[in-house]
Amino acid sequence: MSNNYFNTLPLREQLAQLAKCRFMSMDEFSDGVEALKGKKIVVIGCGAQGLNQGLNLRDSGLDVSYTLRAAAIAEKRQSWKNATENGFVVGTYEELIPTADVVLNLTPDKQHTPVVKEIMPLMKQGACLSYSHGFNIVEEGMQIREDLTVIMVAPKCPGSEVRAEYVRGFGVPTLIAVHEDNDPKGEGLALAKAYAVGTGGHKAGVLMSSFIAEVKSDLMGEQTILCGMLQTGSILCFDKMVEEGIDAGYASKLIQYGWETITEALKYGGVTNMLDRLSNPAKIKAFDLAEELKVIMRPLYNKHQDDIINGTFSRVMMEDWANDDKNLLGWRAETAETNFEKTPAGDVEISEQEFFDNGILMVAMVKAGVELAFETMTAAGIIAESAYYESLHETPLIANTIARKKLYEMNATISDTAEYGCYLYNHACLPLLADFMKDIKTDVIGKGLSETDNGVDNARLIEVNAALRSHPVEAIGAVLRGHMADMKKIV
Amino acid sequence: MNHSISLKKATVTFDERFTLTNIDWDITANQHWMITGSNGSGKSALAAVLAGMGDITTGQVSGLPENVGLVSFEAQAELIAEELKKDDADIMDVIAIGTPVREMIFDYCSDQNLAEQLVEKFGLSSLLDRAFRKLSTGETRKVMLIRALANQPDLLILDEPFDGLDANTLDMLQEHLASIVNQVPIVMVLNRLDEMPSFITHIAYMDKQGKDQGGLSLIVDRQDTTAFNELHQLLHLKTTELEVPEADSSNQLPKLDPAQPLVRLKDVTIKYEDTIIVDKLNWTIEQGQHWQLSGPNGSGKTGVLSLITGDHPQCYVNDIFVFGFQRGNGESIWQIKQFIGYVSTALQWEYRVSTSCRNVIISGFYDSIGMYSKATDNQKKIANEWLALLGMKDRADSPFNKLSYGDQRLLLIARAMVKHPPLLILDEPCLGLDDLNRQLVLALIEKICQGSETTVLYVNHHAEDQIRGIENYLELVKRQ
Repeated sequence: MSNNYFNTLPLREQLAQLAKCRFMSMDEFSDGVEALKGKKIVVIGCGAQGLNQGLNLRDSGLDVSYTLRAAAIAEKRQSWKNATENGFVVGTYEELIPTADVVLNLTPDKQHTPVVKEIMPLMKQGACLSYSHGFNIVEEGMQIREDLTVIMVAPKCPGSEVRAEYVRGFGVPTLIAVHEDNDPKGEGLALAKAYAVGTGGHKAGVLMSSFIAEVKSDLMGEQTILCGMLQTGSILCFDKMVEEGIDAGYASKLIQYGWETITEALKYGGVTNMLDRLSNPAKIKAFDLAEELKVIMRPLYNKHQDDIINGTFSRVMMEDWANDDKNLLGWRAETAETNFEKTPAGDVEISEQEFFDNGILMVAMVKAGVELAFETMTAAGIIAESAYYESLHETPLIANTIARKKLYEMNATISDTAEYGCYLYNHACLPLLADFMKDIKTDVIGKGLSETDNGVDNARLIEVNAALRSHPVEAIGAVLRGHMADMKKIV
Repeated sequence: MNHSISLKKATVTFDERFTLTNIDWDITANQHWMITGSNGSGKSALAAVLAGMGDITTGQVSGLPENVGLVSFEAQAELIAEELKKDDADIMDVIAIGTPVREMIFDYCSDQNLAEQLVEKFGLSSLLDRAFRKLSTGETRKVMLIRALANQPDLLILDEPFDGLDANTLDMLQEHLASIVNQVPIVMVLNRLDEMPSFITHIAYMDKQGKDQGGLSLIVDRQDTTAFNELHQLLHLKTTELEVPEADSSNQLPKLDPAQPLVRLKDVTIKYEDTIIVDKLNWTIEQGQHWQLSGPNGSGKTGVLSLITGDHPQCYVNDIFVFGFQRGNGESIWQIKQFIGYVSTALQWEYRVSTSCRNVIISGFYDSIGMYSKATDNQKKIANEWLALLGMKDRADSPFNKLSYGDQRLLLIARAMVKHPPLLILDEPCLGLDDLNRQLVLALIEKICQGSETTVLYVNHHAEDQIRGIENYLELVKRQ
């Protein structure tokens, strides 16, 4: 059975690792891909991350090939097609791993333990093993051979974005880390930096973090604000609108595309800009609702963070893995049966502004979720930069998946780990917000404020604006967004 | 004029010097036209057809009025020539005085009162007894104008009437024309839209159709503001002498070996699963050799281009030599892309970033979509020069995504050219553009072909969108 690595560390070390996060400056990448030049890079897995990172690395002049299980090759599975159609050399673990200087493990979390156990004996003496998520090392306590260098390079966007941004001449924000227990030659950082350059990440900003900080913040963000809050919010807002007599097709559309539209404003100018898109009375309304939501949900966010920090979350999830994913599959089926999921978006025109005006509660939920996740993470010792990327930064990306095909698409796109956490959150949050939802009417979800609500108190408006702008997530956001000029429109 | 003038598929020649081809044009009551276009496009010829000149070889011209008032340089020259001929015809040994201005005006005009008023207004009173041929060019022009205006014409044709007039006269003439718009239809030939009087209702845009041939290529209703603005830009590109801005001298591209081709594809193949799109294609593009690539949809045009640009993943499994690199030997795509300027519809779709027009042009220096580096002052200056060339100086800071589709395309062409790439790839640059914008784009590309050392690779389906100067053709066929 696995042994939680984080829990083996003394408190002092735990705190130090959690707090590890530094925004790197552009001139730290002046060596480009040099450290990987001429080295043989072998990628395990050819899904969205595997394929797209490989394409970028090859276009940066690096030697990339793919290794797949013998069965995937023999049966010409999708992963085999992905790799061969793109002109890559593909071989079995036995054929390619022994030749590799750097092995990129880009398989799903769940497969890490068996995959790493299988390839480790095949790896060259002194080679490098790279992860894009630290779950295996931190939560499962995987022990890596002492002669191997272990690094992490984690682009903070879906694989398709990693590629699209590279092709545009840019990149996506990327987190890198070196597993200090496995850096025998002291070359981990140089390799991780070259890898980040090879995928274009250095242009969008690189955070130097630790395996631990990455895992604990990533898990927290994905299960609370990113996926959990959007799922719970979708279900609650839809049911409320239908209950209040709003056309189900309209309600379905307002939610499916609403998250994407309102979080696009978030992406460009943070929570402040998202609320600035509302009229003054609506802004004050959204602010008040968010304050209320934060009070109700704070204990839940704390519980998620605590369970993540002390390993309860990963233990319970791994028990489910061992139990043939009984919970995960059950919850997945349940989600498919929600009324929101089953009601197709109506054939109605909703203007960009209308998504804000008629979705005040959704704006409030995003605000409450982003701020709570950020506050909880930073209170747990995670640095603001990490907390920003794992909360606010990724919200529009997840919202985009809901716009594509509702909750099904979201849960299909995110990792199993995120999906599991999302359901946990959803199950706890739905009953928690039941009383709150009783007082909700169509003025804040579905129809927008009526003309008579049009007045605002000057002093109150000043207060709300000041509170919005002075939240710590806004301060760090302004700095980090500054590195992402000319952002692409999602909508 | 109660009836309308109509030209139906008319081809009109002028002493074999110039031919107007295939003109379809109707002038109906209450319309006032401006004819415009580049030099040599047949503007004056079209105006002359309305005055009954030229030989109609095919098609029909009907409804031409009898009494036409015509002012043009040609008519002016003719009148002067006639005067000089009178002189030649005089074999007696006396000094010929020539016809006095008084006679030129009052023997000719049917409205003597108006003629008198105009003589006064144009300041010709003191010149009435002077010989016509002794007048300056500006003065003879005034005489021409009075003769045309005061002869109660059914149609008034004014070919560049403002050229050579002093400011006072110009104002006076404008004012007079404005006062008669309800009495007589007016057709004016003008080179510049900003000279256009406000009473003009329609604009006929002429374009060259080949050597000594011109045709009517666009008709724009003054009310259509969008079309009108685009026409403004088109005229700017067609009629202003502009030079392609210099490349950025402080960031020069690596030198290419002139003995090597720009591109050499050897037996290249593109296939998806078992479907072969391109089969063993060989193609070499030498420096300075302009190419046109054509072929039906699905014949692999874009695929072949992306093998060259490095955007196609199968470029690593083919024998491709580009800009000194044999692909797949540790070069990065940015080392390849620096030598290429690229424009396509797909690029325009991908270019959905919130950025200014100026930044779109500057991004060409970095081969990026959007700007992720700080531009230098010199790059900004060059971008401004391009904006001026495009006639878009006033929109430098406007967001790119708020521009019309055609303007976006123009900017992307400027973006592709800004670094003076050795190879400019134009993948169906006119696709999705209306007629006016199509002409705008072609005008810009022609300007580029003339004014730089760039080798052009032009991809299209449409035979009529040809670019002068391209002599090499490759046609791909669709595989079954």
